[in-house]
Amino acid sequence: MSTLVFIEFNKNTISESSSQAATIANELQNEVYGLTSNDDESYISSLGSKGFDKIFIIDDFNNYSAIEELINNNGIKTILSPSSNTFKELSSKISTKLNFPIASNVLKIEKNGKISCSIFTGKAESHMINNNDSCIYLLNKNIVESQDFEKKADIIKVDSKVSENSSFEILEQKFIEEEISLNDADVVISAGRGLKGPENWQMIEDLAKKLNAATACSKPVSDAGWRPHHEHVGQTGLKISPKIYFAIGISGAIQHLAGVNSSKTIIVINNDPEAPFFKAADYGIVGDAFEVVPKIINSLG
Amino acid sequence: MKILVCVSCVPDTTSKVSFTEDNKFNKENIQFIIGPYEDYALARAVELKEKNSEIDISIINVGLSENDPLLRKGLAIGADRAYRINSEPIDSNFVAHNIASFINKNNFDLILMGKESIDYNSGLVHYLSGSILNIQTFNPVTYLDLENDKSVIIKRETDSGIEKIKAKLPLILGCQEPIAEWKIPNMRGIMNARSKELSVIEPIEVKASLKLDKYTLPPEKEEIKYIDKDNLELLIDELKLKNL
Repeated sequence: MSTLVFIEFNKNTISESSSQAATIANELQNEVYGLTSNDDESYISSLGSKGFDKIFIIDDFNNYSAIEELINNNGIKTILSPSSNTFKELSSKISTKLNFPIASNVLKIEKNGKISCSIFTGKAESHMINNNDSCIYLLNKNIVESQDFEKKADIIKVDSKVSENSSFEILEQKFIEEEISLNDADVVISAGRGLKGPENWQMIEDLAKKLNAATACSKPVSDAGWRPHHEHVGQTGLKISPKIYFAIGISGAIQHLAGVNSSKTIIVINNDPEAPFFKAADYGIVGDAFEVVPKIINSLG
Repeated sequence: MKILVCVSCVPDTTSKVSFTEDNKFNKENIQFIIGPYEDYALARAVELKEKNSEIDISIINVGLSENDPLLRKGLAIGADRAYRINSEPIDSNFVAHNIASFINKNNFDLILMGKESIDYNSGLVHYLSGSILNIQTFNPVTYLDLENDKSVIIKRETDSGIEKIKAKLPLILGCQEPIAEWKIPNMRGIMNARSKELSVIEPIEVKASLKLDKYTLPPEKEEIKYIDKDNLELLIDELKLKNL
C-alpha cells in the first residue's frame, strides 16, 4: 500500500501545502508518491527532498481516467491533498467512483484510523474513525511544519489519453498577479475600514513587503471597492490559516473571524480597545494604525 | 427551464457552537438560517425568473421538519415548490447521494448550490453530486447569466484567477457572492408561499464511510498579550523569533 500526494505549484516551486502533505504522508507510510501536472522534470526530480519516492507527471488533472488507472495499478489506498478546488473536484470523483471515503478540513491523521477535522469554521472539531482500508484527506494548511528528507524521486510520465469532448469553452482567463499568493503566504497583513480609504494602503503594502507577506482585507473594504474581491477574507470570502495574521483597523466581527481564526498567531492593531478582535488575538496593540504601522516598518529596518 | 436550488439550513453565523452529551449539535437557543451561499444561489435563480417567467424554480433541503419554515421562506423569496428529504444531513456523501437520486428522477437544467455549507464546511456536495450524476460542476461561481435555454455564461474563481466560461446545460454550480444580492421576502411573497407545494421525500440509504467518534471544542486561546504602542520591541522580537 502506498500514499499519493497531489502536488500543486506556487509559481515554479511546490506549494507549502503540498510539502506539508508529503511530510504527513511520510509519517503514515514509507512509500510516498506524488502526482503533478508540472513537467519541469529537473525540478520534479529534486522533490525527493520533500519526501517523495516516485512522482507521476500527468498533462492535466482533468484527465480523470488516467488518474484512476494510476491509483488502481499502484495499490494506492491513501490520498493526501491540499484543499484547492481543483483537488477537491478530483478527490470527489475518486471518492464516488472508487468508493474512497473523503475527509475535508483535516487537522490530524493518526495511524489507527482516527481523523480530526475542523468544522463550524474553526469553532469546533469533529473526530472521525475510518474503518476502511482507503481514504482521501483534504488537509488544512499549516497543520504540520514541512520537513526535509533524503530521498530520491523517480519520475514516471503518465500516458494520457486524449480527453473527451468538453461541454464548455473558456472565453476569458484573468490571472491574479500578486507577488505572494494569499492562500500560500506564511504571513498575511490584513486591513479594514479603520484605514479610512484605499489611498492609505501604501503602508499596508510596505509592511507586507518587509515581512514577505500577502495582503488581505475585510468584507466592507472589498464591498466598497477599496481592494479587489479576491483579497476578502472571512466567512463569505477566503478562509486562510497563515502562521501570522495581522489585523489592522478591523473590528473583528464574527463573520471575519470565521475566515482567519485558524491562523497560528493573530496580531491585532486597533485604536478601539473594545474592538472584539482583541478577544481572538495573541498580541494586541491599542493605537492608531497610522502611527503604529510606520513604527513597525521602521523597527524592522 | 427547470432550476433546482439546493439549500442547507444552518446555525446563524453568530451562533455559539456547543454539543450535547450524546454527540449531537446542540440546537437549543440557536437561530437557523438558509446558508448564506445558498441564499445567493436562490436570489440569482429568482433574478433569472424575473427576466424570464418560464423558469421554474424548485428548492430542496436534506433535513428534518424543523427546517420547513426556512423552506417556506425560500418559497416566499420566489421558489415555485420545495422538497425536503426527511433525514438529518449525515455527511457530504449522504447528502450528495440523496440529492443526486432526486435529480435523477426529476430532470433539471441547472442545479445551484452554495460554495459550501457553513456548518460542516466540507465544500464537497456539489462536486460529489456532479461526479455521481456525471454532470459538469463549477465552483465557486461568482457570475451567472443564461445565454439561451441550452447554455450559460459564468465566471468562476480558479486557484490562480478568474475564468469566464460558456457552458452547456445541465450544470451544477457552487455559488458565491457577488453572484446576486440577497433577497428579503415581501408580504405578497409570504402570502403566496402558504399555498405553494412542500413535498417530503424519504431518504435513500447511503453507507456511512467515516464513523463519528465525538465532537470537541478547540482549546481556549491563551490570554492576549498587549504590547505598548510606544514600545514595540516585544512585537519585533517575536517576529524575528519566527525568522521574519
